Amino acid sequence: MLSPKTYDVLLNRLNLGVIVVNSAFEVEFINHFIETQCQVNYSDSVQQPLFSLFSDLPEAWLKRKIQSVFVLGTPAFSNWEQRRHVFKMRHTRPVTTQSDYMVQNLSFLPLSQNSEVVQQVAIIIEDVTDTCFYQERLQDTLKTLEHTSQTDALTGIANRRFFEERFLYEFARAKKQQLELSLMMFDMDRFKSINDFYGHQAGDYILQEAAQLITQQMSRLDVFARYGGEEFCLILPQKNIMQAHQFAESVRQKIYAHDFVFDNRRIQTSISVGIAQLDEDSESFESLVTQADIALYQSKREGRNRTSCYKK
Amino acid sequence: MTEAVLICDDSALARKQLQKQLPAQLATNVEFAKDGLDALTRMRNHKFKVVFLDLTMPEMDGVAVLQHNQKEALCDKIIVVSADIQPAMQDKVHQLGALAFVKKPISNDHLVDILKEHGIHD
Amino acid sequence: MIDLSLTEDQRDCLQELVNVAMGRASDKLARFLQTFVHLRVPAIELISAQVLPQSFAEAYADQGVSMVSQGFYGERGVRGESILFYRSHDAQGIARILGYEPEEATEVEQLTDISSILTTTFLSGLAEQIDNHIGYSAPRVVTSDDTSIEKHLQQLSFTWELALKVDISYQVTDYAFHCDMVLLIPGEAIHSFQQALDNILNEI
Repeated sequence: MLSPKTYDVLLNRLNLGVIVVNSAFEVEFINHFIETQCQVNYSDSVQQPLFSLFSDLPEAWLKRKIQSVFVLGTPAFSNWEQRRHVFKMRHTRPVTTQSDYMVQNLSFLPLSQNSEVVQQVAIIIEDVTDTCFYQERLQDTLKTLEHTSQTDALTGIANRRFFEERFLYEFARAKKQQLELSLMMFDMDRFKSINDFYGHQAGDYILQEAAQLITQQMSRLDVFARYGGEEFCLILPQKNIMQAHQFAESVRQKIYAHDFVFDNRRIQTSISVGIAQLDEDSESFESLVTQADIALYQSKREGRNRTSCYKK
Repeated sequence: MTEAVLICDDSALARKQLQKQLPAQLATNVEFAKDGLDALTRMRNHKFKVVFLDLTMPEMDGVAVLQHNQKEALCDKIIVVSADIQPAMQDKVHQLGALAFVKKPISNDHLVDILKEHGIHD
Repeated sequence: MIDLSLTEDQRDCLQELVNVAMGRASDKLARFLQTFVHLRVPAIELISAQVLPQSFAEAYADQGVSMVSQGFYGERGVRGESILFYRSHDAQGIARILGYEPEEATEVEQLTDISSILTTTFLSGLAEQIDNHIGYSAPRVVTSDDTSIEKHLQQLSFTWELALKVDISYQVTDYAFHCDMVLLIPGEAIHSFQQALDNILNEI
């Protein structure tokens, strides 16, 4: 059995903040942790109103929280992920963290002696600055990783993986909600010759510049991706084949009219486009890709720099 | 032949628990109803010494039973037995003519006190 | 393999314990929220945790859903995890119920706060009746993203064998909201629960 004195020592050695309040929100106890972290002392603190002893507390929220423990007789919690800190305290890792204050998890525990009536509420404050720091670094890394895995490194637009993921989703959505959906695929004409004649850096520049031009023209719903090599694709949700054709033609003309300038040399290029639209018979998103591809090769066969629609 | 006691609750456990808490004289002559509709039918056919009525039940809840009872004057001694002890609910059942309100889970002493208070048991 | 099935008596007993726990929770809530809480008879259902991901993903397929999880641990091996499911439109306006100042708490925080209140008041009421005391860990929002609900549940159900599903409908005087509460219970704790039910049944 521990003596009351030992209990006292234990409470004060804890690396946790302990504040006990009564139902009038008056402080009945603070431990050593609170004394040092908040620069208050025990004798000046007891019987003081909680909200005047500690400044800048979220009063209405905290009152409701404490009231809930008194009325319901069950514990309540506050998590750093929702609320960084409640009590303003300096933390012990000033160099490595971005936050100014100690990041906290709080537990509010009902205290009662041999009765159902809650007499006091203990607020337990845990320093989770470290957890928060590492969690945030992890989140940042995951975000970067996600972006990298979805982006084409050369052009900065979406890559094939992201295209397939989104197209699968858009395909299912359009089918279910009976929305229109078109797919446009295009290829840079005579790209191999450009590479051979002007060099690979020029080829890269053409791809980047073309991607830029098209990004400026598309609407918010469209998804634009590099399918591979010099082939690109555009998911056009809520567009029928007529609207898709109109859009494809404006893109094609823009590319054809654009002055691609690399190393002070003007390079003219064009694109061949194939489009297909979703109908009742479309079984899978792959079949739509195949159809757009067939239309694209028709454009190539018929002399390039044109748009073809898939016909059954 | 004394009048029977009616215990109305959708839970078999709750019905048995209540019967067990009743004083011996009352516990020997007990009828059970498994929901409000069942209780109402029985109340229309017999005169009960006292009806113990749960509030939250399928088919017909306790409040509806009280409303019907008030209209048809079937039994003047209805004791509501419920875990839902919100003050607003207590007021409501009193207005609908309930004699008393017993909180679940039932404490034996409290039940006997209430029965004595209303002259159902001595 | 632990027998998940309950006898007719055990089931009735559990339903009554849940009803009483709900009633007491409503009473406490009414006092805290200073309003009248209308309580419907909660439907309970015991399901194998393995089928939970699929059934819930289907039930919530069309709407955004938020899940809040909170661990609980009692005496004699009673322990588990409670998950509350809210449909997006039910998750709005909780601040008003809780009596927070507008802008004072984010929606996620309101959700964890109301969840913690519902879980702890309900489970404390249940624990009292089986002569137990229950402690809680802090609630956490597991997801507020509808696409990943099945994945999240799969991860959770891996650890648990049985799920007790309690449909909760709380209607506050001028505001109604509905949520599903699921208690996930590991194998050895199911035995403790069954034991507690038998103890009650043997007493009567």
